[in-house]
Amino acid sequence: MLSKKNPLDMLFASITAISSFAVILLIAGILFVLVHESWPAIERFGIVKFFFDTDWNPVTESFGAATNVYGTFITTTLSIIIAIPIAIGIAIFVTEISPDFLKGPIGGAIELLAAIPSIIYGMWGLFTLSPIMSGLIEPFLKTITQDIPIISALFAGPPMGIDLLTASVILSIMIIPFTASISRDSFRLTPEVVKESAYALGATKWEVIKHIVIPYAKLGVFGGVVLSLGRALGETMAVAFVLGNNHRITSSLLDAAATITVTLANEFAEADKDIYLASLFYLALVLFVLSFITLAIAKFFLLKAERKYSR
Amino acid sequence: MNVVLKRKIEGMVAISLSTLAALFGLFWLVFILGDVLYNGISALNLDLFLNDPAPAGVDGGGLRNAFAGQLLITLFATLIGVPIGVLGGTFLAEYARGKGISKVIGVLSDIMVSVPSIVIGTFVYAILVRPLGHFNGWAGSIALAIIMIPVVLRTTEDMLSMVPWTLREAAFALGAPYYKVIIQVVYRGAASGILTGIILSIARVAGETAPLLFTSFNNAYFSVNMNQPVSSLTVTIFQYAMGPYDSWHTQAWAAAFVITVFVLILTIAGRLIIKWRYK
Amino acid sequence: MKKILAAALVMTLMVTFSLVQAADTLNGAGATFPYPVYSAWAYEYNKITGVKLNYQSIGSGGGQRQITDRTVDFGASDDPLMPEQLQKDRLLQFPAVIGGVVPVVNIAGIKDGQLKLDSESLSRIFLGEIKLWDDAAIIKLNPGIKLPHREITVVYRSDGSGTTAIYTNYLSEVSAAWKSKVGAGKAVKYPVGIGAKGNEGVANYVKRTANSIGYVEFAYAKQNKLVYTQLKNKAGQFITPSFKTFENAAETADFNPTKDFFVWLTNAPGKNAWPIAGATFILLAKEKTGSNKKVAMFFAWAFKNGDAKAKELVYIPLPKSLKAKVEQYWKANGIN
Repeated sequence: MLSKKNPLDMLFASITAISSFAVILLIAGILFVLVHESWPAIERFGIVKFFFDTDWNPVTESFGAATNVYGTFITTTLSIIIAIPIAIGIAIFVTEISPDFLKGPIGGAIELLAAIPSIIYGMWGLFTLSPIMSGLIEPFLKTITQDIPIISALFAGPPMGIDLLTASVILSIMIIPFTASISRDSFRLTPEVVKESAYALGATKWEVIKHIVIPYAKLGVFGGVVLSLGRALGETMAVAFVLGNNHRITSSLLDAAATITVTLANEFAEADKDIYLASLFYLALVLFVLSFITLAIAKFFLLKAERKYSR
Repeated sequence: MNVVLKRKIEGMVAISLSTLAALFGLFWLVFILGDVLYNGISALNLDLFLNDPAPAGVDGGGLRNAFAGQLLITLFATLIGVPIGVLGGTFLAEYARGKGISKVIGVLSDIMVSVPSIVIGTFVYAILVRPLGHFNGWAGSIALAIIMIPVVLRTTEDMLSMVPWTLREAAFALGAPYYKVIIQVVYRGAASGILTGIILSIARVAGETAPLLFTSFNNAYFSVNMNQPVSSLTVTIFQYAMGPYDSWHTQAWAAAFVITVFVLILTIAGRLIIKWRYK
Repeated sequence: MKKILAAALVMTLMVTFSLVQAADTLNGAGATFPYPVYSAWAYEYNKITGVKLNYQSIGSGGGQRQITDRTVDFGASDDPLMPEQLQKDRLLQFPAVIGGVVPVVNIAGIKDGQLKLDSESLSRIFLGEIKLWDDAAIIKLNPGIKLPHREITVVYRSDGSGTTAIYTNYLSEVSAAWKSKVGAGKAVKYPVGIGAKGNEGVANYVKRTANSIGYVEFAYAKQNKLVYTQLKNKAGQFITPSFKTFENAAETADFNPTKDFFVWLTNAPGKNAWPIAGATFILLAKEKTGSNKKVAMFFAWAFKNGDAKAKELVYIPLPKSLKAKVEQYWKANGIN
């Protein structure tokens, strides 16, 4: 097809090729720049030590990522735990339960909600959700758990509404539409014929969902969940408003904390010492690598799901 | 009988639970949207679009600088990101169709789409802000363009792949070189799809905040000079909502309303084009 | 052809946008402490001269970082740099205005200046040793005031902050425990509490969080009607923050141009001195002579015409003699 004789064709082909290689170039560039900028910190704090050091202290110029990694880990895990059942519920509802005339509008609404910028979620979290959490939900959780030995420690301390729990709730609300729409797409992969034959055998609606739709969609849903996890890992603005930027590891979900992203947003432009800035670049590098791996895993499962069912 | 009843009850319970879950999820989502619309509309006024900010803690003033800055940054991000994305997608769908490199770049783009945007902000700070010696609008546009490229690239690839191969063959038969076929036949066939991709990618970056914090920074004045710090709605929302002044909070709601409506209109427009074209 | 035309159009647009009004903007960034007064001055100045002084309050640490990296025309910081450091980074430094940091609380029923604290109780609250508002140490200072049996939420600055520098400098001076456990600096590792960005953020969180305590520049407390406390000073007096008591703290300070005005005003000895006062400084890059001139012109204007506005926001304008010293310092360093 590509006629080697036509110079214009060669030119156009090269331009498109360069444009598409821009993606590889960007990824490599980001990796290189981050490593280069964080080199002083990598040299000084090492890799293992940086990961497990809980000290993030600009006064003594001692930096460890542990508190940030911990905050990121807790908020993403918690938000995924909250989001998965709801998102799958929505997906099941939209594909299997809802009457046909509602399927379109609800599906559309979910996609619109996935498009709302994360800063809107964050701001809403501060102005609307945080007072609800500190005034209603957190005191309630404290009361019902106060006599249970280990769980009560999860809700120790004053309910401030600016803490890990609130941040996780916001994050989960934000990824619900995302997870739901991927799950829905996976549920749709189930061939109608298989479902029909199950109904013909006398299966109830739930049995069809449980034994046919979910097994069919399993890989896709799993990929979708991991993808949402990747999204949640790197989310900044939705959590920055209500996390309280606190570099400590605490057992209570009602304590303020810091995630990698929020630390970057708050401290990056104002780090005064060179080693401070290098450590922040190091954090960015850690985040980049973590999310890259997570997203690659998600992509792997989604591709596998696609290959399995699109035949 | 017993077994049938048990199956029925189990089914009822499960189905009610997922309906409840759906309602619960939708409730929060509607709550957010309703809250933004309600607080936003009541905060809107003409001054907001005509005036620059008043000094901190003084009532009045507007966000003219942020509206203009946001448009400017997004416009240039589009001008930079879209051509690269469309051309890159063309390579994957046409010249490298079915080849290994096409798959690799495709997967990498999918990953790039979800790379934390704040990381891109730090990257652009290192390559464009510090070396140039000042925060500037270009850096903000480029940070957003980096986010746009993989989105546009992937949709373009998909859309071009949907153009039937026979169309191209017909054009080849007339002796047209490949690049002409692409520009005059394939692009035309996939135009609405590519447009949708572009619109959705604009919607995606218009609400981005994190990559702008360390690049285009902020500016208290109306400025269209892209070599200088440029204000944006999203960064202003972050500053104002986190600030203590009630007048700031009101303006933050108004800005949030405008951004949300803008993004939703783009998203709806994108969906409508798909529906209208591919149904 | 269309493509080439479009590309040409884009190029022209880009060039135009870059050339339009390039000269009359000054970019500054840094301390949030003086942000209310700087933005008020800049607003007036813009009306009169058309010069756009874009001041972004990102924190003193940010001010130092961005001027050191030369990404702004001037930096602002309440954490004065030592002359050696200035020498090394080729920077100039001069004071612009003086203010006070005040503890602010949000406790139901407590009014402005009602709650009394001393250095001991304040440092122990921020160390997390005093956990409840009705702690014996606080009750002892406040006989007759009903304090709730509630946990204290400490709100502090999470960004690189000169307000924090002034505040922790004070706490380190008065409390050995603070000095050894936390220390002084723009960003310190607080043992308890929630972190907010900027004076704005602390004011916002204190406003929104019941039973909280934080520290902000006085203008933020005033503008946002936050409840401030009394504080016992070095002379043993309980002092209410006010223009007078800040001024009293500034009187004893020795601003020395040969040391680039490096000085702390905390824990001042005066009988009526507010113990946590501080000056806020402007940082200039030595080689940016063009923009330095414009920045100096702005501050010269502010020194002449800005006192009333500063006082309105409860900042202390620099005394006349100090203003003269600053202007001489500019001359000595080739500005003007």
